[in-house]
Amino acid sequence: MRRPSLARYDATVAREKSSVGREALAYADALYNLARHLTGNATDADDLLQETYARALGAADGFVPTGTLRAWLFRILRNTFIDGYRRRRHDPARPGMDADATEDAAEMPREDFDSDQLRAVVGTEIEQALQALTEDARAVILLDLEGMTAVEVAEVMGCAVGTVKSRLTRARAALRSRLHEYARKQ
Amino acid sequence: MTCAEIREHLLEYQRKQLAESLRVEVDQHLASCADCRHWAEGERATTDLLERRLPRYSAPLELKRRLEARWAPSAVPRWRWARAIVPLAAAATLVAGGTFFWQRHADRVDANRLVAEAANDHLRVLYSEHPLDIPSGGIHQVKPWFQGRLDFVPVVAFDGDADFMLQGGAVGYFIDRKAAVLVYKRRLHTISLMIVRADGLPWPTHDLQRMGRLKARVERSRGFSVVLWRDGELGYALASDLNAAELLDLGAKIAGP
Repeated sequence: MRRPSLARYDATVAREKSSVGREALAYADALYNLARHLTGNATDADDLLQETYARALGAADGFVPTGTLRAWLFRILRNTFIDGYRRRRHDPARPGMDADATEDAAEMPREDFDSDQLRAVVGTEIEQALQALTEDARAVILLDLEGMTAVEVAEVMGCAVGTVKSRLTRARAALRSRLHEYARKQ
Repeated sequence: MTCAEIREHLLEYQRKQLAESLRVEVDQHLASCADCRHWAEGERATTDLLERRLPRYSAPLELKRRLEARWAPSAVPRWRWARAIVPLAAAATLVAGGTFFWQRHADRVDANRLVAEAANDHLRVLYSEHPLDIPSGGIHQVKPWFQGRLDFVPVVAFDGDADFMLQGGAVGYFIDRKAAVLVYKRRLHTISLMIVRADGLPWPTHDLQRMGRLKARVERSRGFSVVLWRDGELGYALASDLNAAELLDLGAKIAGP
């Protein structure tokens, strides 16, 4: 028979865990959206989301993230993606973090497209253009699109708050450059 | 400000999130710089495309239900509380003992998540086609490789020897943070060592075993032996299918004299 103190502890843990779980599940759609754009397919996105929750909540008894719960969950999702999926796939066609640095270091190009022409690009082309970017660039664009603050994005990306803006600016410029290719074909 | 600096502020400018003084500066710059005006148009078009046309995916309902059943079950039924409270009252005289067992239990529960994560990370090393980012030419080659890749310096006092051969290292993730992952071999057995910043994680403080100059918790998870310890600001997790005594031996070497 279990000791009473342990039963009480277990009940408290179960309730807290359930409470954190409910709060965390409120981000399931947003996390899934990032997972879908990172992995590029539904099956891997499903797996990534499940693994993210397993890592975050599987043993989250009493764990208090240092930042927001949202940023903590997104960070775990991104870490899980980088740690597992990219390494397992070892896809040379998809540049990694090191390749991102090269892209980030590039000078901002002079933009010579017609923004009206750009607006004619359709959803699937935007998605393809996004997929063609490095994981780092995709993530920073999508996190910003999610409405995260620079502090939250920095927490997810594991970088200084001061570098978020420059990363985002370069990532969006890289995306625009890809989008321009689609726009020109029309 | 230069054009590059102005461009980094354009998104906030368009979202009306800039401080007044900066907004005025961006206004003035845009009035006199055609390139940046063009860039600003591009930013606006990009925002439109991303917000209006980029497909947004929602988690499938079946997946959400599965997650909810697993991680946010219905509230604990009241009768379970009643069942817990009655014996609690009866055990009032055992408060001190209860507290002791409670702490031990809490410590065990907390350690379990670190153990599970260490076992998961070890499995990733085993199943990965390319587990090492830097193959070993010795610890003095591996340790400098981590420089600039981690926000801490992994402290390892052991170079590897004939019994525990250092295979190399990689950057991995341990729960919510980056980890230095070192891989050793003992005969045909693979051993993963994860080193992380220790703050914010519940390193075990009870039921520790002597491991050289330190004490460590030894656990088993899914057939793997896992050894956890904290040394100053860093936390360590060793995982392998070796027996615990061999891991403690390696842990003592890693911790140093």
